[in-house]
Amino acid sequence: MTGLEKGREAYENIKIPEALEQRVEQSVCRLRIKRKAQERRQRRVRRVIGMAAIFAATMTVAVNTSEAFAMEARKLPVIGELVRIMTIRSYERTEKEMQVKVEVPGVDLGENDNGLSNIVNEQIERMTSQYEAEALLRAEEYKEAFLATGGTEEEWAQHDIRVKVWYEIKSQTKDTLSFAVKGTESWTSAYAQTRYYNLDLKTNTFLTLEDLLGEDYAAIANEQIKAQIEERTNTGSVFLSTAEGGFTGIGEDTVFYINEKGNPVVVFEKYTIAPGSMGEVEFEIKK
Amino acid sequence: MKHNYFEEIAQYILENEDKFYRLAYSNVQNPQDAMDVVQNAIYKALSHAGELKDIHAVKTWFYRILMNESINFLKKNRRELLVEELVDEDAYICMQEYDEAEELDVRLRKLPTEVQNIIRLRFYEELSLQEIAEVTGRNLNTIKAKLYRGLKALRVEMEGLEL
Repeated sequence: MTGLEKGREAYENIKIPEALEQRVEQSVCRLRIKRKAQERRQRRVRRVIGMAAIFAATMTVAVNTSEAFAMEARKLPVIGELVRIMTIRSYERTEKEMQVKVEVPGVDLGENDNGLSNIVNEQIERMTSQYEAEALLRAEEYKEAFLATGGTEEEWAQHDIRVKVWYEIKSQTKDTLSFAVKGTESWTSAYAQTRYYNLDLKTNTFLTLEDLLGEDYAAIANEQIKAQIEERTNTGSVFLSTAEGGFTGIGEDTVFYINEKGNPVVVFEKYTIAPGSMGEVEFEIKK
Repeated sequence: MKHNYFEEIAQYILENEDKFYRLAYSNVQNPQDAMDVVQNAIYKALSHAGELKDIHAVKTWFYRILMNESINFLKKNRRELLVEELVDEDAYICMQEYDEAEELDVRLRKLPTEVQNIIRLRFYEELSLQEIAEVTGRNLNTIKAKLYRGLKALRVEMEGLEL
């Protein structure tokens, strides 16, 4: 008998505590209940999104057809000479003890606008209203659960419940504008949302990776991403394997922004190619 | 809606809980802690059940979570250092009776946790090298090298041993 065989025998003889079976079964059972509750909530959220979309569409028409509003908007601080990205609508309010802070951006493409600004602004408006509605619903359910599990109204009031929607300019030049619209909640990061906009200001179109990297954009990006994954794995980062749903290649839904150097930075949402603990993962693709 | 393998994963866990416990116990060396590690791994796996895209990968996926939980536990509790003290070879020489298996285990536990687990997964749990590569997120050659060096350090008879 070799040493390893004896080692294996000893390993297999490790005593299993009697409590193990019950603990495992209980854990599985609790998580099953939790999941059922989550599913119910998701169905409710989906119904609310439908209603919010209709509301947002109505709002957008009002914003874009109001002459007075457009005039007012032009007075806001401007960035760049020809193109403006600005806060179209900004407000803070408290609803059912929850603090909501919203800063909705919009772009103004000036004289050469071919309708792109309408498309962008409409999308942003829709995203922010939806996010706000969903976040408030989630907060309400959180409160419900908090009270149902023995928390008091006073204790709930101590919670810092905030919903925030805002934007971040990633880079801008004479020819390009890249920015992100973000939504976050103070009590959970699970539903954080980011949408990136990359505009070509010469042609007034959305920029694609192909525009930035050329015809072979997919191969170029994939090669650099794979190299960076390997590099970071060696320094302790963890990525999912292919079988677990990890990185296989960029696709149509791959999002990116343009950094100050003018390079595209590909972003993968939390959980998509790495465990949740790694958060959002970014890869700069050098031209 | 995306398919969620929650029930399949739950089934896999219930059928293999003893194996998970043994691996966790080998790492943390205490029944209560080992059960905590297993429970945490179950929690992580089932609350992220939607992330498993291919049910055939459930084994390597779960072992990876379990190993990460063990390593996190050791990091938090600095157990590795304690084990190092406990298995000090001089102390063992004083002991009258210790058999070959125990001696092997002592030497095994002196290796880095990752290498220990590679050896346990390969020879005790009979995972393939490819599966271990998936569990640890390393490439196949790295695993081979680590396994080879680990066995060398253990001074086990490697002839006829199927890596």
